[in-house]
Order: sequence, then structure tokens, then C-alpha cells
Amino acid sequence: MTGTLISLVSILIGIIAANIFGVFYKKYSFGFIGNTLVGVFGSIFLIKSFGRLGFDPWSIMQNESFNITLFVVNCFVSILGGVLGLVVAKLIYKKLNK
Amino acid sequence: MEDMLFYDRLQFAFTITFHYIFPQLTMGLSLLIVFFKGKYLINNIEKYNNAAKFLMKIFAINFTMGVVTGIPMEFQFGTNWAKFSELTGGIIGQTLAMEGMFSFFLESSFLALFIFGEKLMGQKLHFLTGFLVFLGSWASGWFILATNAWMQHPVGYEVLENGKFVLENFSALFTNPWLLPAFLHNQIASVVTSSFVVASIGAFYVLRNKQTEYGKLFLKTGVIFGLISSVLVAFPTGDWNAKNVAEYQPASFAAMEGIFETEEAGAEIVLVGQPNMVEKKLDNKIAVPNILSFLTHQDWDKQIPGMDQFKEEELPSNIPALYYSYHIMVGLGTIFIGVMALALFFLWRKKLYTLKPLLWIIMFLVPFPYIANLTGWYTAELGRQPYLVYGLLKTRDGISPTVSSGNTLFTLLGFVALYMLLGLLFLVLVGKTINQGPKPQTH
Repeated sequence: MTGTLISLVSILIGIIAANIFGVFYKKYSFGFIGNTLVGVFGSIFLIKSFGRLGFDPWSIMQNESFNITLFVVNCFVSILGGVLGLVVAKLIYKKLNK
Repeated sequence: MEDMLFYDRLQFAFTITFHYIFPQLTMGLSLLIVFFKGKYLINNIEKYNNAAKFLMKIFAINFTMGVVTGIPMEFQFGTNWAKFSELTGGIIGQTLAMEGMFSFFLESSFLALFIFGEKLMGQKLHFLTGFLVFLGSWASGWFILATNAWMQHPVGYEVLENGKFVLENFSALFTNPWLLPAFLHNQIASVVTSSFVVASIGAFYVLRNKQTEYGKLFLKTGVIFGLISSVLVAFPTGDWNAKNVAEYQPASFAAMEGIFETEEAGAEIVLVGQPNMVEKKLDNKIAVPNILSFLTHQDWDKQIPGMDQFKEEELPSNIPALYYSYHIMVGLGTIFIGVMALALFFLWRKKLYTLKPLLWIIMFLVPFPYIANLTGWYTAELGRQPYLVYGLLKTRDGISPTVSSGNTLFTLLGFVALYMLLGLLFLVLVGKTINQGPKPQTH
């Protein structure tokens, strides 16, 4: 059950990461609205794609105990998802609007 | 056990209610986006293209929120409703997987192309991407409704010795007589929501004297679409749905209409009244005789079975909640027709844009289509109780036996806190988008 909450927390972390990255690297920023949307999809994409390696919400809560190390890995991947999402989205955007 | 059932249902009710705020707008809004983009292709007037792109931004925010709040829904089938998933997964898994594989991917891929790819694709392909977003969002509704239709009126299944349901006839899932009326009613209701949202944004711009060209365009489009959809949602789609309930779930029909006692000939329609569950009657009732029989069977004197004709266990478990949900939906629907008809009259008389009281009403009416849509869903879901699969699987037999009520309550509180945060974020994003408006910024 708590696993479901962790998956939502991961998404929020992705949103925050994308917005902070956008502030520091303006050339990748889509503004607050765009960064937030990209942060959602970036973090979901990475967690869904690579979480099965052992840091998805279910592994974090396995045997009813909270594994802090896996949670930190999960958060880190969410941050990465938000940041990479922004970089990739900007590249696609530039390609499509040449 | 009863505690577990209560908290599992409460959590699902909360998360699905919050989730359905978003898809009900995206499904209807996609139709309006296609309309504006189509008008741009025909007339080549830039404001229609800007309107379509502006609405797609609002669509994208709602779509993203729908994705985020949809994730707990997916998980809950496994966590809170493991027994239900185990027993019926062979059937509902088909339609839910198709929703994800076909509709969601179609919608999300072409949404990105619509937002980013206008220059590269040209206008005709850009219109096509908008149309595919519309197709994806409506197909999503179709697959979800197919799942729900099977739960309301199970068809094409076989029950194995171990109690599991398996699919005997795949096409029966999509030819289910419950599906088409429910789908049309649901989709048209989502057009009502989006029309009111668009009209409300238009009223806001006109009242603030900001982006007035777009304000007038949104008002006009919202009012016309709003009136047409408000009428269609009542008749024929709502009428068709109610006839289905009367035929396949007569006990639920009696409860939602508040018929405690069967009348000898011709059932009355209740306009106002409060269910008194102790004396099994409606208090302070205002009713019109014989109308319900006519609306349901086109026969003024046809008898409609009341709740006294059914055993206690056949009746919905929360009759007052069902009765009020249904009557709130119908009452609001009637108000929508009235307001939009009035707005269309003043639009025709060329007075709408200067009639401030009506503009204020249109602007502040925006939460009510959401409430009507949600109470419509409550009616369908409360009407099916005490069953998860009507007549076959009781709700209490579908919960996960090992998940404690304390565990569910804890996560429910977590959801409330996170959803408040998400709700706030959503309001900020939509507020910023509306404040920027559809007019391109000049630098």
C-alpha cells in the first residue's frame, strides 16, 4: 500500500528536479508549466523502465519493511528522469521546429 | 471485515473521484480542439489555430494530472482489491490492457506531436494529430466503459470450478447492451464539462476586458456546444441509460427513483423528497403522477416494481446516497439546459457579451458540470452495490483479505495530503495558462 504513495512521491521529485534544472540551465527550460509536465513523464518513464532492476516502490516496501537505500536510489532515478526528460524534450522540440 | 471493506471502498471512492476530474475534461476538450483546428483549416483565420493550441495546453495539464492520479488506481486493483483482480482478471484485464496499449499511447504520442510539431508537419497533418488525440481519449473512455459495463451487466463469461471468471466470447465485451448507451452518455457529459469550462474562460476574458476577441470566441463556442450537449446528455443518451437500468437492475432503478411501494398502475416521478429509511417512504414529496411509467415504457399505466418487490439483499446498500446522487445529477442537468438556452438567446440577440450578470453566472457555474459528472458515476456505482460484478460477485468478497483497515487508512491520509499538493499545483498551472491567454506574445 505504501508503495503506491512512494510512486507518487517519485513523480513529485521528478517535477521539482525538472523545475530546478530549468532554473539553472535556461536553454533547456520550457517555463514552469512545461518543466512540470516534462518532469512528470520523465520520472514515470525512468522509474517504470528501470525500476524492475530492484528499486521500484514494491521492492522498497518488500516484506513490509521500508528500505531506505532503495528509496534513495528511486529518488535519484526520479531526479534523473526529470532532468533527462527536459534535455530530451528540448532536443526533440528543436529538431521539430528547425 | 466490515471495517476493511469500508476503508477500501472509501479509498477507491476518493482516488477515483479525484482522478475523474481530469479525464472528463480532456475527453470533451479534445472534440473542441478538433473543431477549432478544423475551422482554421477551412477559414484560414489565425485566431482559430491559436484557440486550438491554447486549449491543447489546458488539455496537456489535465492529461498529465490524469496520468499521475491514474497510477494509484492501477495499483489499487492489486493492493486493495486483490481477490477481485484474481477472480475477474481474465476478463477486465483485457479491456484495461487495451486502454493502456491503444488509447493511452495514441493519446500521449500525438499530444506531443500536436504541441511540438506544427512547423514540421504542416497544417493538415497538425489537424490529423489533433484528431488522433481526440480518437485516443474517446477510445480510452470506450475501454474503461467496456470494463464497467461488464461489471454492471456481465456477458460472454464462464465461471470455472475455482470461482474464476474467464472470457468465453471476446466480442461480447464490446456488444454488451450496457456499453453503448453508457459510453455515449459519459462522453456527451464530458463535452458538457468542457463546454462549460471553455465558456467560463470566455466569460472571464470578457469580464476582465482582456483577450476579448478570444473571450467572445470561447463564449460563443462554449454556449453552443454547451446547450447541444446538455440536451443530448438528457435525451436520448440519459433516457437510454435509465431504460437499461430499469431492465437489467430493476432494484437499483426503484432505489434511485425513490419508489418504496409499487403503485397499482403508473409510477410517479419524484421531483423533490427525502428518503426515510425507517418508515420506508419519501418525506416532503413533490411528484408528478404516471410520468415515470411513460418515460420508461411509453405507457402511462405500466407498473414499475418498487423496492417492496425485492428482497433486502437485492437492494443497493446505501439507498439515500444513491437517490441523492441521481437527483443531484438530474437537477444540475436541468439547470445547465436552462442557463445555456438563456445564454444562446442573448447571444442571438447580440447582448450576451455585455450582460454582466449572466457572464458572472457562466463563469461561476464551472464546478457544477464536474459535480454532475461525478454524481452520475456515483449513481452507477452505488446502484450496483452490494455487488462488484452485478448478481455474481459481492463487493465484500473482492477485497484483499490480508490488507488491514489501519494500513488502508494510513495510505488514504497520504493520498489526501499528496492530492492536495497536486490539486494546488494543477490550479497554479491552469491559472497561469489562462492568465497568459491564447494570444501569441509579441517580443
